[in-house]
Amino acid sequence: MSLIDRVAQELSRLPGIGPKTALRLVYHLMKRPREDAVRLSQAIRELADRIRPCKRCGNFSEGELCLVCADHGRNASVICVVEEAYEVGAIERTGQYQGLYHVLGGHLSPLDGIGPHELNLQGLLDRISSSDGGVQEIIVATNASVEGEATAVYLEHVVRPLGPRVTRLARGIPVGSDLEYVDGSTIAEALTGRREM
Amino acid sequence: MRLSELQVRHFRNLAGQELDLPAEGVAIVGENAQGKTNLLEAIYYLETFRSFRAARDERLVSFGQEFFRVAGVLMEDGAGGVVGGGELVEVAAAFRARGKRKKVTLNGQEPQRLGDGLGRVCAVVFSPADVALVSEGPGGRRRFLDIVLSLNVPGYLPALQRFRHVLGQRNAALRDGRRLEAVHAWDQGLVESGGLVMEERLRWVERWAGEFSSHYRRISGVQPAVLRYQPGVKLGGARDREGIAAAFKEALGETRDRERRLGATVVGPQRDDLILTVTEAGEARDLREYGSGGQRRTAALALRLVEAATIREARRQEPIVLMDDVLAELDPGRSERVMALMEEEETGQVLLTAPKESDVRLRRDSLPRWRIRNGMVEC
Repeated sequence: MSLIDRVAQELSRLPGIGPKTALRLVYHLMKRPREDAVRLSQAIRELADRIRPCKRCGNFSEGELCLVCADHGRNASVICVVEEAYEVGAIERTGQYQGLYHVLGGHLSPLDGIGPHELNLQGLLDRISSSDGGVQEIIVATNASVEGEATAVYLEHVVRPLGPRVTRLARGIPVGSDLEYVDGSTIAEALTGRREM
Repeated sequence: MRLSELQVRHFRNLAGQELDLPAEGVAIVGENAQGKTNLLEAIYYLETFRSFRAARDERLVSFGQEFFRVAGVLMEDGAGGVVGGGELVEVAAAFRARGKRKKVTLNGQEPQRLGDGLGRVCAVVFSPADVALVSEGPGGRRRFLDIVLSLNVPGYLPALQRFRHVLGQRNAALRDGRRLEAVHAWDQGLVESGGLVMEERLRWVERWAGEFSSHYRRISGVQPAVLRYQPGVKLGGARDREGIAAAFKEALGETRDRERRLGATVVGPQRDDLILTVTEAGEARDLREYGSGGQRRTAALALRLVEAATIREARRQEPIVLMDDVLAELDPGRSERVMALMEEEETGQVLLTAPKESDVRLRRDSLPRWRIRNGMVEC
């Protein structure tokens, strides 16, 4: 296999990139100055070497602790639980949340052999118990899928006995969307979860 | 609703043909194995995008071909119920064997989800195979309910899909011997989706049980028959979604040991059934166990008539009636009464098949006759 094919094959393993796009990317890299490709390869190398899960919350991190956990200005009494580390970024970009995170690394899915022990759950329970009542609220931000819901129910079951209140992200109409194009079950959820104006 | 044009290509033994269908319908006469049922199957495929004979899509592709395609032009009923007086709709479905790719279009546009295209065609099939609905296990009757409700009750299909998904996960947790809490994490989702499924099934049976009985009596001549819903959860009189969900939840609690032993959820709509009985000598007898061939055929016909009535009420369309050799196995008295009832109830477009000219008796012989030979229709 030629070097060009080898690089294309590696690239085509990335999400959203098929064989044709992969080849296009390779040809593009070869047309650009050599430094561009070297810079990219170095960045990828560093990513692989230096990014690891935060020891406390499981978020992407360059050091022992991620930037959120290391920030003493954050509100340590609230922990938001998400399925995947990239979801931390989605919430961070809102700029509306000042608490900490905990990344489960997935959701319950017995059909795929994933039970509570396969998730980063014990870490969360340890954080709560070792805080001596410091953690007052757990926000469950698992996805609104069948698996995300079951994971939320399980979380509530194991967290509540430890003391903190357990809340769930609200569900409903996406901001800026037309009611006409929202699917029926979302509208039904939004109706159930409506609030006083 | 009326089917005015039909195009079929490489569907079973139908090689390829374009047909213009008469407004009142047509009688298709042909010997066995010429393609009569295949033609009705192709039309009904446009309603559910599956075979009504429960055949896999790969099996529908003509031998030695790569794909099949069926397309129909339909005239919806207009305001005030003028049959065929409304909008024109073109529904097409194609399936390519390689990669098992199915493509559905409505007026040339692919709907966002396949489910959005379901039920645009309003048709009911009356088939000799329907007898299995009555004589075989509860799975077939649940499938009947699921198809009727998915096509006619908004929200039923998503709830059913969600229920099956949760049930699969919960059973896997039970099989793996997961801890109690890891199993019960699925209960809420199971009870919510399953509660909706059971509520709609119960409501449908209650709405149509009376009609079922009277259709059965009309065909049989004397006997009354009863259609009853037997839920897979003891409902204890619960009728609304919350009540049913609560009963379901309680039943899950009561069966904890058993489901753990069996490694599967033992209560819920996956155990539902429809019970069909006739009263003989003052005693209710289950048609599944004690019914004669004719009684079972009669009950199956009555179920299909109720299916047609559901379409009329829910979708406000006069269904296209697809009758496949429907008089087979019925005694002369019953045949006469079936025909009389069909004349009265089903006033829309009729496509009926028969092996002999003499079996075509609907609409006082006014239906045009087509012959079918070797998968080709001769108009």
